Amino acid sequence: MAEHKFPDVNDPALAPFWKGTKEGKLLIQACKKCGYLRWPPGPLCNECLSEESEWREVSPTGTLWSYAVYHRAMNPKFKDQIPYTVVLIELDDGPRMYGRLVKGAAKVEVGAPVRAVFQEIEPGVSFVNWEIVQA
Amino acid sequence: MALAKSAIVGVGATEQGEIPGQSADHLAVRAAALALADAGIDKSQIDGLVTCRPPMATGTIGTDEDIAQLLGINPAFASTLAYGAGAFSLHIAAGAIATGLCHTVLLTFGTNLRSAGASFGGGTRDWLNLAGLVHIAGPAAMAARRHMHLYGTTEEQLGWVSVAQREWAKDNPLAIFREPLSIADYMASPYVVEPLRRSDLTMISDGGAAVILTSAERAKDFKKAPVYLQSMAQQSALRSDQNPDKLMRPWIKDIADRLYAQAGLGPKDMDLVYLQDATSVWVLQMLEWYGFCGLGEAGPFLAEGHTRPGGSLPVNTNGGQLSECYMWNWMHLYEAVRQLRKECGPRQIKDVEVALHAQTHDFYKGAATILSTHAG
Repeated sequence: MAEHKFPDVNDPALAPFWKGTKEGKLLIQACKKCGYLRWPPGPLCNECLSEESEWREVSPTGTLWSYAVYHRAMNPKFKDQIPYTVVLIELDDGPRMYGRLVKGAAKVEVGAPVRAVFQEIEPGVSFVNWEIVQA
Repeated sequence: MALAKSAIVGVGATEQGEIPGQSADHLAVRAAALALADAGIDKSQIDGLVTCRPPMATGTIGTDEDIAQLLGINPAFASTLAYGAGAFSLHIAAGAIATGLCHTVLLTFGTNLRSAGASFGGGTRDWLNLAGLVHIAGPAAMAARRHMHLYGTTEEQLGWVSVAQREWAKDNPLAIFREPLSIADYMASPYVVEPLRRSDLTMISDGGAAVILTSAERAKDFKKAPVYLQSMAQQSALRSDQNPDKLMRPWIKDIADRLYAQAGLGPKDMDLVYLQDATSVWVLQMLEWYGFCGLGEAGPFLAEGHTRPGGSLPVNTNGGQLSECYMWNWMHLYEAVRQLRKECGPRQIKDVEVALHAQTHDFYKGAATILSTHAG
């Protein structure tokens, strides 16, 4: 079977996240008992182990923790996209997430403020990419 | 009850590189035969077996079931680690001896990843990889970038990891990459995942390695001089991205602190240093966390040439995984033992008695051992 190019947006574990990105919102799972924001999502809280959770909208802003520029496709899937930059973002609300830096971004620097860009990659599926916020 | 200490009394390694037509298990058992011969014993004197599955192993490859069957042994104690890279397997074996589960353990590792055409590019089905963060080069590049940002480390300073190890590999007949690599060559080579270049990353190779560990008490009766395990420590960071700082791996310092305290030794007492190097960034970080220089000072420390042949701190004298072969830290252990036994020919370091053997499993966990020619 061929590999999926795109995520399964109907996977119950992540469906709310993908529904959010389609609407331009960044949703993160939050524990209803202790409030811990967990990323990546999971069946229970990594802090208090409660199974009660909800998806909460968080600020789509953060700080560039670090980044890597792929000059060679380490997986053939990304052959047509090099060079591309993968970023690790520390959200202003706490959790860390990986994403792609949008093309043509301003000077990339660790510590730079960043903002989510919701980009439709196929009908009904939007990725969270990131852009540097210009000072 | 004082737990019994243990010592390495035999090591074995096959040729390294591309070995078509031999399975991972075959290579592991060939290395085992060499380690038994090195120790001067017969397989009947082994009552423990610890095997390490190769990366991306399928089926029963590399398990104790496969290896014991091929070796024709029925050990009292047998165990397999999925990630049993050098130090992790060694600690399991030492624990088995200390608790009396067995007295003499054979440890094995074999891989034919190169001939099998393996790739570490990973799948793209996992949604975490959708951004293209594939291969260890990606997160390692992020770690390097962060180090550069925090401490002003330069690409050229990082380059000295690969250059120094290539210099060491020159005199190691087992090493895959022995042709000269200058710092100018390094700087002129293209990025793979910026700021990392090809020579910052390990190759994929085939090979087998094996070690024989016994109680310190029995060790004296073997053919070769024993290499004693003075202290051992491990630490994980398995929560990964939920930890405050995944990239810099500060938990390695916890390993170092416990390791040195247990042995009553410090970084200045290490005559030889082996730091597993899937990427050069691991060496950069571990030089700092193990206290060979201050935090953030590894760049200048490397550029000053301390880790090169003739330098003050011999690091990865086999060439490491960047130049010798990709053997999950097993060949670092093989080299450490042979250096401590003064068997390394032109690259032998004089007057060596104590070695640090340390590794990490990506950003997940680490293990380290202090090896010594002294029992006490």
